[in-house]
Parts: sequence; C-alpha cells; structure tokens
Amino acid sequence: MNEAAVGVIRKTFEAYEPGSSSNVSFVNAHEEHLLVTFYVHKISQLCGHFRFPEEVEATATSYLKRFYLKNTVMDWHPKSVMLTALFLATKTTNNPISLDVYASHIPNTVASDVLDLEFLVAQSLAFEFAVWHTHRALWGIWLDIQNLPDSLPDISKTQGSIYESALIHVRAARLTDAEFMYTPSQIALACISLTAPDLAKKWLESKENIPLPENRTDIPPRPSATTLFASIEAIKSIITNAGKVPDVEAVREVDRRLRTCKNPEKVVGTKAYLARKAEAEKKAEEKKNKKAEIQKASGAADTDPFGDPLSEPVKPGLVDYDDDDDDD
Amino acid sequence: MDAVERENLDRQKRWAKEQKVGEGAYAVVYRGREFSTGRRVAIKKIKVGQFKDGLDMSAIREVKYLRELKHRNVIELLDVFSNKTNLNLVLEFLDSDLEMIIKDRSLVFLPADIKSWMAMTFRGLEFCHRNFILHRDLKPNNLLIASDGHLKIADFGLARDFADPGFKMTCQVITRWYRPPELLFGARYYSSAVDIWSVGCIFAELMLRTPYLAGESDMDQLKTIFRALGTPTEQEWPGHTKLPDYVPVGQFPKTPLRDLFTAASTDTLGLLSKCLLYEPRKRVSAAEALQHPYFYAIPHPTHPLKLPKCTTQMAPRPLGEVDGDGNVDDDVDMTGSGGTFGAGVKSGLGPGVKSGAPNNTNKGRLKRKITSPMEGADGDMSARTRSIARKLDFTKERYVKSP
Repeated sequence: MNEAAVGVIRKTFEAYEPGSSSNVSFVNAHEEHLLVTFYVHKISQLCGHFRFPEEVEATATSYLKRFYLKNTVMDWHPKSVMLTALFLATKTTNNPISLDVYASHIPNTVASDVLDLEFLVAQSLAFEFAVWHTHRALWGIWLDIQNLPDSLPDISKTQGSIYESALIHVRAARLTDAEFMYTPSQIALACISLTAPDLAKKWLESKENIPLPENRTDIPPRPSATTLFASIEAIKSIITNAGKVPDVEAVREVDRRLRTCKNPEKVVGTKAYLARKAEAEKKAEEKKNKKAEIQKASGAADTDPFGDPLSEPVKPGLVDYDDDDDDD
Repeated sequence: MDAVERENLDRQKRWAKEQKVGEGAYAVVYRGREFSTGRRVAIKKIKVGQFKDGLDMSAIREVKYLRELKHRNVIELLDVFSNKTNLNLVLEFLDSDLEMIIKDRSLVFLPADIKSWMAMTFRGLEFCHRNFILHRDLKPNNLLIASDGHLKIADFGLARDFADPGFKMTCQVITRWYRPPELLFGARYYSSAVDIWSVGCIFAELMLRTPYLAGESDMDQLKTIFRALGTPTEQEWPGHTKLPDYVPVGQFPKTPLRDLFTAASTDTLGLLSKCLLYEPRKRVSAAEALQHPYFYAIPHPTHPLKLPKCTTQMAPRPLGEVDGDGNVDDDVDMTGSGGTFGAGVKSGLGPGVKSGAPNNTNKGRLKRKITSPMEGADGDMSARTRSIARKLDFTKERYVKSP
C-alpha cells in the first residue's frame, strides 16, 4: 500500500517537475503507521476535552485506522482526517453536536475543514458505520464473570479493580491493530487475562461445556480451547508491545519529512494542484456544454412536430454518472 | 484518482438510474437497474449539501442499520455510493406499501391475509429487536410490499440501538397515530415495546381499513387511546402518573375490543390486546407474539404470493414525512417539535375510534367482511369465498376505473 502510494506520488512529482522526486525521502509504511497511531491517541485526548462517551472515542479511532487501510498520510494528513472521523463518529453513535460548536473548540479549524473530508471518510469506510466495540464485550464478560457459580457474591465490589485495569488494557488495544485480526470478545478476554489470568481461564472453561444450540446451521463451529488460548496470548503480546503512545519526537520527525513528500496534487498552491484543478474545471465545463447541447437537441426535437422519428432520442441521465439533481 | 474514489466509481457503475418515482424534502427516489443482471432496484438519492452539519442523521441511521440487517422481512440495502454531494442508497425495489393496500377499496382482506401480513411484520421486527435495534417509526406506510407479496420493514431513519439502562432517549419518535402512551407521556426510558404498540395499531387498522387511533394532536392522541381502551388505572400501569409529561385526560370506561372488532376471532383479539397493553413491560414481545395461538389457529396465513395486491401503480409518494424531525437526537430536548409528526392528516378517512364507531362508508365494508365466513372456515371454503369476494371487487374496480 505504502509502496503503491509512493509510486503514484513519485510519478506525480515527475509529471510536473521532472527530476524533482529523486531527492525526496518518502515516508515508509512503518512511519505512516506511527503517525496514524499518534493521532489515534490525539482522538482520545480530544474526546476527554469534549467529554464524549467512550463509544464515540472507540468508534472514531476505528474509523481513523480503517481510513488508512485504504489511504496514505501523504495524500491526507491524519490531523484533518482525525477531526472528520471524530465528528462523523459523534453522529453515527447518536451523540451529535453542532458542527460550529465542534469546530470552535478546536484551534485553527473551521467548519468546512471538517466537512470537506466527510464524504471521503465515509467512502473509505465503505459506509460501514457500525463498529462492535471491545469495551462493550469487556462489560459483558465482566457481568458474566460475576455470575460464575463459585464467584464471590460481592466480587464487583472487592474485585472491581480487575474491570478497571482491564479497561485500561482495552484502551491500549485501541492503539494497536488487534481489532483488524481478532474479534472484540477475544480482545476483551485477553485484556482480562492481562489483569487476572486465572479468572479469564476460569471463565473460558465455564463456557466449554455449554452445548451448542441444536439445529442451528448459522453458528460457526466453536474453536478449540487451544486455538482460543493461542489467540488470547497473541493479542496479549500485541497489546503489551504495541499498545503505547508513540514517542512525540519520532512523530515530529516523520511529520517534518511528510511536509516534503506530500502528494503535490493535494497541496494548495503547487503547480500540480493548479494543473489538476484546471483540468477538473475544464471537465466540468465540457460536461455542462454537453448537457446544454443535449438539452438543446432534445428541445429542438420537441418543438419540431415532424422531427425524424427514427433518430434515437438522447436520454440524459441514464448513464450520466455525474448526473446531478435534475431539478437543481 | 484515489483508490477510494475509484472504488466508489466502480460501485456506482453497477447501477443504472432510470426514472424518478418520488421526491421529498431530503431525498429523491429513482427506479433503477443492476447493469449485470437487469435486477430492478430503487435508488434513494439523499441531498446532503444542504445540511449545515454534513451528512444528516436520518441518512446515517438508515445506512448504519440497514448495512447490519439482512432478513427476508427487512428491506435490503444493496449498495451505497456517493456522487458529488449526494449520497445514494441502492435498495431492493418494492412495488407498494401496506398503506396503499389498506386504502385500496377494491380489495377485500380475509383474516388469513391479515394473519400473513402480521406474521411477516412480527418476523421482521423480531429480527430487528434480536439485533438490538428499535425501529421507532412503524406504520403501514413503512411496511413495503414486494412483487412476490413479501412484506419488508423499511425506513430506518429514526432507528437506534437499545440504550443502556439509565440512558435517556428522545420521546419524540413514531408517527403520532402509532405512538404508544408511554411516549406521549414523555417517557425517556423505553424499550422494544414501543414498536409493538405500533404493530398493534397496524393490526387493528388492517381489520378496520382505517387508522385505529387517529388523534389530531398529541393531547388528543391520548384521549383517543383512552376512549378506545379505557383510561389506565394504577394497577394496570403502575407508575404511569409519574411520567414526565403525565396529565390526566379524563376518565373513559373500558369497552371490550369485541364491540369494535365484531368479526375477529378470540385469538385475534387476544393478540391485539397484548400488543395494546398499557404497561410496556407486560406488552407482548415480537418473539412471544410469533408463538401466540393466533398464528397457529385456522385459517393459516395466506401464502405471500396469494395476498391481495395493489391494483394501482405506486404513485410518487412524499418522502421523509418526518422531515424536520430527522435530526431528533437523544440528548437534545425536542419538545415542541412534535407537531410535524403524522403530518398530512389523511383526508377522507374517518378515524377509527375518534367517532366511536366506523363511519358510514366503513360500515358497508365491515358488513361485507362479516358476511364472509371467517375464522374457522376450512381451507376449501375460504378459498371459494375469496374468489367470490375478489370477483365482486374486481367488478367494482372496473366500475370505478372505467371512464
């Protein structure tokens, strides 16, 4: 992904200013990842500032990470994408706030900065807005643990710290890619296991003897305990190794280099940007003319009562993908 | 071009937009086709540019929930793509809705037909509730009918997932005539039982062929409900007087459902009354309703293919009747905005309960229903009477339609 992006941007550089790409040092996949992770952490800080519920924060981080599965920081800077992802998450989780209020709380940001990328972000998410969260799974397992036959009646009071510290691991897991590889409940169990391994094991064992519902073909076969334990251990090591906020200095260094290797078509004022804009305008103009011609043609046909009945009428709108509202 | 834009264009190219079939304040619906298969689809184009807060909440809700739900009795969202500042939802194409069928005076409903629609509604709703989604806008107009007779729940613009206990939700949801009393009293904590009340109203409407509880304002709605079902007592509905917007609206005696639904079987009224229980916690759930004796008793539900079909073409219907309320959210108090609900008081139809009994035009229809042998008739018998009833109606239809 990173290589492909570098290739495209290098070509763009070359197209507008031959030879200019040779001394550009592009950011690599690892550095892209570092930068995105840093802004995942930023989301968490912003959410604290706005006092958004956990669900908003978790959704926005998933959106940001998913966005960069399909895009590169050299095209879209995570700082702007983060703001849009968070705003979109407030809406998809049913916690909407007014855009003006939102933008006014963020320095150097106007409403349009947030909105301009909204479609791009939604598209990159393939309009899959619902996210199933690990913190919900954690809460579910925690409630279930309290129901274990031999758990103490006041476990939620005496052992409440287990839940609290597991939740801290869940938040750390958000900085990692674990959610792309494992299910929310597996990650949640791993977080409990990081805090109280015996309790996690006991809970898992209590589930082993529950028979699967009969006559249900829609439930996939249950993984063996060994497979599950292996997954849990793998998640645990991901969280321990990668669940950290990146070093600010390292991020700053990447960001500084990013300024030199951004896709020139996306930087306002560069030659490439202007060229692309001119091209887009030319295209729009052509389309407009074409549409006008079609209208003229069909209008002429209408007014001529003896118009050639054999000529195929032009049907605007049938394959005209950019067809805007017919009535605006 | 970016990978994402290219992907979007590829999606867009799968679908052909044809003629416009409906338009509303926030969306335009086109008939369309899938290029590769020729399959008919509906493309709902949501105008986004006009909203100052970007993508609008009802569009987001609709996309979010329909992407998750796939069931025979829930409308299928086939694809989503954007184009300039418009969001396009590709939905399965459905010819008509239950409201059109109810209003089509040339059709006669047999009890088995009603049972079939109710079964499909409850199945779709049970699926939503099983997946922790409240619909919050059930009404005949949102129950669409496919060409093969299958009923599909549509319009998830007001849907939301179950809130955690203690989390406030807005009470300004559900079109007024289908809104349960707890919402009219301003309850901010409620459950899937709100949808069940709506289904109960639809059930009654299928029998009456006119909206059952058609209040003229939110206050009148409560009065209409109590006039029909009697004012609730503290025993029937503990704690209702403590609800935020509780106001006494007068004492009305309880009249048996049997007085209005003269032709209905005991099972029918049994299920109906369980949907219209005042105490939300006692109201039947969708899953329980599907196990109710009503669905096991004779006559068996009509096969979807054999259900009465609308004789008229789907006219461009106004979309987004709850516009303006599309943005209701759960943290903002929307009190006072409820006026737009149930917009467009349907003309020509006497409200089911308002006048105490169906008005004269309805009486004729009810009588015809009564004279047709209903519940308990064996399969053969009902098939025969049906063909007669249909025949009668077709002549009438021709009479009405011929110039």
